[in-house]
Amino acid sequence: MRTRKTRPLVLASGLLGAAMVVSACGNSGGVGGTSAAGQATVTAGQTVTLQYETWYPDQATLQKAVDGFEAANPTIKINLRVLKSQDFQKQLPLQLNGGESLDVVGVQVSAMTNTVRSQLRTVDSYAADLGADWKSKLDPGLLAQAQNAASDKTLYDIPMGGVASAYMFYNNKILTQAGVTTPPKTFEELAADISKIQKSDPAVTTPVAFSGEAWWQEEMLFTFAGQKYPTLSDSIIHGDASWNQPQVIDSLNQYKRLFSVGGVQSSVLSLSGGDPDSLFYSGKAAFLIGGSWEASVLSSSFRAQNSIANDDWGAAAVPVADGGQPAVRTLAEGGLAIPKSSKYPAQAAKFISYMTSGAGVDLWNQNLAYVPVAKTGWQPPASVLTTQAARDGLQQMSALAAQQGSERDSQQDFLNNVEGPAILAVLRGTQSPQDAAASLQTQWTSGRYPHGAAK
Amino acid sequence: MTSPSQLAQAAERPVRAVRPRSGRRSPRHRRHGLIALLFLFPLLLFYGTYYIYSFVFLARVSRQQVSLSFVDAVDVGWQNFRLVATDTLFQHAVINNLIFAAVSIAAALTIGFVAAMMLATGVRLHRTLYVILLLPSLIPLSLFATIFGKMLGTQYGAFNGLLRGVGLSGLQQDWLGQSNTAYAAVAVLLIYLIGLPIMYYRSDIESVNLSLVEAAVLDGAGTWRVFRSLLFPLLRNTHKTVVLSVLLGSFRAFDVIFFSTNGAPSGQTSITGTYIYNKTLAGTTVGYASAAALLLLLIAFVISAVQLVLMRRESR
Repeated sequence: MRTRKTRPLVLASGLLGAAMVVSACGNSGGVGGTSAAGQATVTAGQTVTLQYETWYPDQATLQKAVDGFEAANPTIKINLRVLKSQDFQKQLPLQLNGGESLDVVGVQVSAMTNTVRSQLRTVDSYAADLGADWKSKLDPGLLAQAQNAASDKTLYDIPMGGVASAYMFYNNKILTQAGVTTPPKTFEELAADISKIQKSDPAVTTPVAFSGEAWWQEEMLFTFAGQKYPTLSDSIIHGDASWNQPQVIDSLNQYKRLFSVGGVQSSVLSLSGGDPDSLFYSGKAAFLIGGSWEASVLSSSFRAQNSIANDDWGAAAVPVADGGQPAVRTLAEGGLAIPKSSKYPAQAAKFISYMTSGAGVDLWNQNLAYVPVAKTGWQPPASVLTTQAARDGLQQMSALAAQQGSERDSQQDFLNNVEGPAILAVLRGTQSPQDAAASLQTQWTSGRYPHGAAK
Repeated sequence: MTSPSQLAQAAERPVRAVRPRSGRRSPRHRRHGLIALLFLFPLLLFYGTYYIYSFVFLARVSRQQVSLSFVDAVDVGWQNFRLVATDTLFQHAVINNLIFAAVSIAAALTIGFVAAMMLATGVRLHRTLYVILLLPSLIPLSLFATIFGKMLGTQYGAFNGLLRGVGLSGLQQDWLGQSNTAYAAVAVLLIYLIGLPIMYYRSDIESVNLSLVEAAVLDGAGTWRVFRSLLFPLLRNTHKTVVLSVLLGSFRAFDVIFFSTNGAPSGQTSITGTYIYNKTLAGTTVGYASAAALLLLLIAFVISAVQLVLMRRESR
C-alpha cells in the first residue's frame, strides 16, 4: 500500500509518463517554415519605419550608417537594436518563430544560418530591389560562403564582409622601446622579443595575451595547422577527414610549442571575456592574438571612442610554429537578411544594398569591423589609419585573408563542449595530443554533433 | 538518572493525530476539506497548467531533432535519450552534481550546525557573525560566483596576488587549470553558502526545551557531549529539511558553477545544469537538451524516492 509520503512522487512520475505518451501520439514533425508576408502598399511620400536587429558592430557605429541612409532616403526610417552576440543567437530564432515583425536582421553566417533560414526570404526573392548588377559589386567568394553555410545551399543573407583569424596585433611603442623593429615571424623570434620587452618595460606583465576560453582554442589550433596543412580545417569540418589523423596531432604539438618554445606564459589560459583586450589596451600586454575584429585598434575613431591613449598599433601574422607559411581562416560574416514577416521587403532590400555595396560601408566600417564584401577594393578613409604600422598591418591582414586557406567554420556545439576543452587539456599537459585526437574523433562520430552533410 | 539520548528520544517522540475509528470522515471534516480545496483550486489550476504544458512540451521536443526556431523538426524517436545516457560528459556532470551535493550536505550538517549552535549561545557579536554567515546566501549567486571566479585568476586573481604579497609566490596555483584545485574551489564556494542551513538550525534551536540541556549539564555532560548526544538528535527534523533543501538546491546550482569555473578545467567541474545550458545554446540541439532535462528529472525522482523510503524506514 502506498504511503502518503510517496504518493506525490508517484503522481509526478505518472504525470511525466502521461506526458511522454501524449507527446509520442502527437505529430512530431514540427512546423514548417511560414510563408512570406506580402509587400505592404506604400503611397508616395509615406514614411516607412523598418525594424533592424543585429549584434555587431556596436550601436554607435551602426547608427552612423543608419543616419546616413535616412538622410539619403527621407521616407524610410530605421529603428536599430543591437543585442549581445550570444543573446542574439538565442533570441532571434524565437522572435522570428513567434511572428515578430522585423524587416532587417543580422545573421551570424556560421552559427545562425540554419537556425533561422526557414523564417528568412531568399535573396533571389528580392534581388530586383537590390539594384542592377548587385551581385557583380560583391565579392563572389564571400557570397558563396554565405550560400554554402545553409544546408540547402540557398543564399538567405548578404554578408557585410568577412572575418579572419588569427592575427597578432602589437603595441608598436613597446616594441620600439625594446629595440624590436619588426614583429616576430617564428616562435624563436617571439621568445627573443618577449625577453627584450620584459627587460625594457616591467609594466608588461603578460607579453602575449589571448583568450583561454574553449571557443578560441580552435582558432589557435587551426591557425597553426593552416601553416602546414592549409585545408585541414575544411576537410575535418566538412566531414571528409578524421580528428585522429597525424596532421591534427602535429598541430596540437605545434600549439603546445607556443608555450615551450615561443615563451608565452601558460597563465594566459586563465584569461577570458575582455581580459586580453584590457591587458593589451592598458600596455600590460605587448601582443594580442585575436581575430580580424580586433583590427579596430588600428582605427583612430575606435581609439578615440574608447579613450585609448596610445596611437601606435600594428598587426601581423601569427608567428610560424615549425615550417610552413603564415595562415588565417576566413569566412563571410555579418549577414543581412529580410525575414518572411517583413511587410517592407523592397525598402529593406534598399537598405541592405546601401550597407553592403553603397555609401554605408565607409560609415559602419570606420572601426574596421569587417573586411567589406564590396568588390571595389575597399580602403578606409585616410583619417582612419594614422600610422605606418597601422597601414602596413591592415595591408598584411588583407593579403593573408586573400590566401587560399580554410573557411573559418565550426560545429559550435562540438567546439564549446568537446574540442575546446580537449585542446586546453593538451596545453595544460593533462592529456596527450594522441589521446585528445582519439577522443575528439570518438565524440565527432558519436551522432551527437551533426556535421558535414548531416548538418 | 536520565541520559541525554533518552531525553532526546522523549523530546522527539511524534504526536500521532487522532482519527475517527471508523475510518470515515465526519460531515464537518468533509466540509472543511471542500472549503480547503476551493481555496486551493486556483493555485492547483495554475501549477497544473504549468506542469502539464512543460512536461508535454519537453517530452515532445525530446524526441525530435530541432533547432531553437522550433521549425522543421525531425522525429528521431528515442535516439536523443540514448545519446544523452551514453554521453560521458553527461555522466560526468551527474556525478559532479552528486559530489557537490555531498559537499554541501556535509558542510551544512557539520560547520553549519556547529556555527548555528555557537551563535545560539549568545556569543559576543553573534548578530554580526550571523549576518556575515548569511550574507553569501542572500546576495545574487551570479554576482557572488563571478567575483569568486575572478579572484581565482592565475595572474591577476586576488588569491595569487595575496600569496605574492606575503612572499609565498611558490604557493601560487593555476586554480581553475587543474582538477583538484578547481574542485576545491567549488567546494569552498559551496561551503560559503551554508547561510540558509544555519538559519534553519537557528530558528529550530529556539524550540528546544532548554531544561533538557540544563539537565544534561547537571548530569555532567560536556559541551561536545551536549552537541553530539542531545542537540544533534533533537534537531533531527531540521537535518532532514537541511538535507532535502541542500540536495535539491545542488541540482539547481547552475549559476554557482557557470559564473565561477564555467566547467574549468576542460569541463571537469561541469554539472547537469551547465551541460543542458550549453546544449540549448548550441541552437541546433534543443531536442537533445530536452532529453537531457527529462533524464535529469528522472534522476531527481529516483533520488527523492530513495530519500522518502529511507525516511519512512527511519520513522518506523
